[in-house]
Amino acid sequence: MPLAAHSHWTMTFFAVALTLLAGAEGLMVAGIGYPATDLAAPESLVVVHLVVIGWLSLAMSGALLQFVPVLVSRPLAFAPLALPVLVTIVVGLAALVAGFSVLAGWTDWTLDLMPVAGLLITAGFTVLALMLAGTMGGAGLVQPFGRFVAVGLASLMAALASGTAFAAIFAGRADWLAAASLLPEGTRFHALLGLGGWLGLTAFGVGYRLFAMFLLSPDPPRRRMAAVLACGAIALLAAGAGLAALGAGLDPGDLVEAAAVGALALAALLHGRDVVMLYRVRHRKGLEINMRASIGAVAALGIGAALLPPAVLFGASERVVAALVFLLVFGWLSGLTLAQLVKIVSFMTWLEAYGGQIGRRRVPQVGALVAMPRTAIWLALHFAGVVAGTLALAIGAAGSFRLAILACLAGTAGLAVELVRVRRLCDVEPSLRPPVDARTRILLPPRPPRRTDDAPITTTHQLDRRP
Amino acid sequence: MPLSRPPTSSTEGPEPNPRELDVRPLLKAGQEPFEVIMAAVDALAPGQSLRLVASFRPVPLFSVMARRGYAAADHALGDGDWEVLFSPHAEVRTDEALAVGSSPAAAAWADPIEALDLRELDPPEPMIRILEALEDLQPGDVLFALLAREPVFLFPELTTRAHEWAGNFEAQGGTYRLLVRRGGSPRE
Repeated sequence: MPLAAHSHWTMTFFAVALTLLAGAEGLMVAGIGYPATDLAAPESLVVVHLVVIGWLSLAMSGALLQFVPVLVSRPLAFAPLALPVLVTIVVGLAALVAGFSVLAGWTDWTLDLMPVAGLLITAGFTVLALMLAGTMGGAGLVQPFGRFVAVGLASLMAALASGTAFAAIFAGRADWLAAASLLPEGTRFHALLGLGGWLGLTAFGVGYRLFAMFLLSPDPPRRRMAAVLACGAIALLAAGAGLAALGAGLDPGDLVEAAAVGALALAALLHGRDVVMLYRVRHRKGLEINMRASIGAVAALGIGAALLPPAVLFGASERVVAALVFLLVFGWLSGLTLAQLVKIVSFMTWLEAYGGQIGRRRVPQVGALVAMPRTAIWLALHFAGVVAGTLALAIGAAGSFRLAILACLAGTAGLAVELVRVRRLCDVEPSLRPPVDARTRILLPPRPPRRTDDAPITTTHQLDRRP
Repeated sequence: MPLSRPPTSSTEGPEPNPRELDVRPLLKAGQEPFEVIMAAVDALAPGQSLRLVASFRPVPLFSVMARRGYAAADHALGDGDWEVLFSPHAEVRTDEALAVGSSPAAAAWADPIEALDLRELDPPEPMIRILEALEDLQPGDVLFALLAREPVFLFPELTTRAHEWAGNFEAQGGTYRLLVRRGGSPRE
């Protein structure tokens, strides 16, 4: 059975994710959510969940659906479920935002939207996790990449379970849980599992593969990757234990949170050190735009991971903690995702449009699909907005924060336009563009695979190769 | 031979005698032997080999049989007749020897007729060079390449084009070694 080179709905996952990022940034520019309201206020939670579920988790899911099958050389398990997964998660997210809008007093719809949202989002990501686990099987766990993804998916499940419990409490449908003081004490563990475990550890695993691949560097020693994974796993066990303690009516105390944050930060710093090494020992001399922009993301990871534990431990003001979390989420996770999207989308589009022609016809270079320097300007705008936004949050300048996010929004919108142009092969020399009916489609899956011109051997005539 | 052959362990227990099949009468009568050969393969006992005699060297059959787990050893009988022994190869432990997806028949391939050192090239240039080189080969020809990375996106394209491949990292881990066997029909 031929191995599918493309996950059919990855581009759709990316498009929805980018749209939701732009939506969240638009809300922030409009002054909705933190710092105008409290961090735990429903308005802030709308923005947080649009960014974390809508943007980062969907982009990560699209990338995993693409890379896991390629990296373990197996077809994607339950592939037809990719689109239903996307639809379920997006509908669930819409219900969640609607539920928060009731809590915020924007609408008077029913709060029962909350548990429904929790169940839909959980169902969508659970099926996604089954697709990835089914694809990897035992073989995937042999590779460090597979182990990071497995621990990330386990954290995702814990974050989803706690999130759904919170949603039921918000809706007044789980008094027995509310009595266990899961809210608000449990939210920090929920955030650690979702951001640190699912997005963070999975990004470490994906980062090791992508950075080595794009930089032409040898993989770091397995021992070092195992150390990062072990620190991450300890952090997530601590966060899970904190949640379980709250559920059992016990007070986990601040020490458990400090241990989880500290272990995650250590994992991040060790990973950051490995990434710096990957840059140093690379065979590739010139850095492509995605790897240049990723330097900014890795710097954000280093600064955030180094400063966040002392800030939490020594009781720094909420402003400082929020600024550091913003730096990690927008500088590292978002910056890394945006930078790699440029490479992933252009490379997958190149493969889709020209893979079957290589060796038979002249094909353009992958880089010819990306318009420079426009793409670099949009990425620079994003990172400039992150730096300004982090500083604005730290000093409590709400107006400046909105301006900073406006820069991020411009970067996101510009990149989205560039990615559409990549999909449409707009910047490719006209003589190298495939005929209109063979072009890649912006969102839809690739057309049915081309037939090989090598039909199976069925006749004597074909068998006989005597000169 | 630059790529270490995959380890094969001899099958345990006595092997059944090879099944004999001479398709020369069929060919002489102008009939198609393919179905007869496949029926004979289906009827083989586990571990049993097939000794095929034909009035030509059935090269394309090698890859068909390789996909079914049989290695080919052939010699000319004279007058254009050939004898081929298709023997089941022992299961290759791919986890320790070859990358996932590698052809288990690689141990039985001919020696490579072309070798490419692509370690200094930026991706996807190695992929382009390998696919280009394959276009100039004949079915059954084997190509050897050295790469800096495992060419994960090349493999699906090789499969689409009906080529077979086997690869692994050398012991030090820095270089990826790849054998590709040209499949299908020659290009006009």
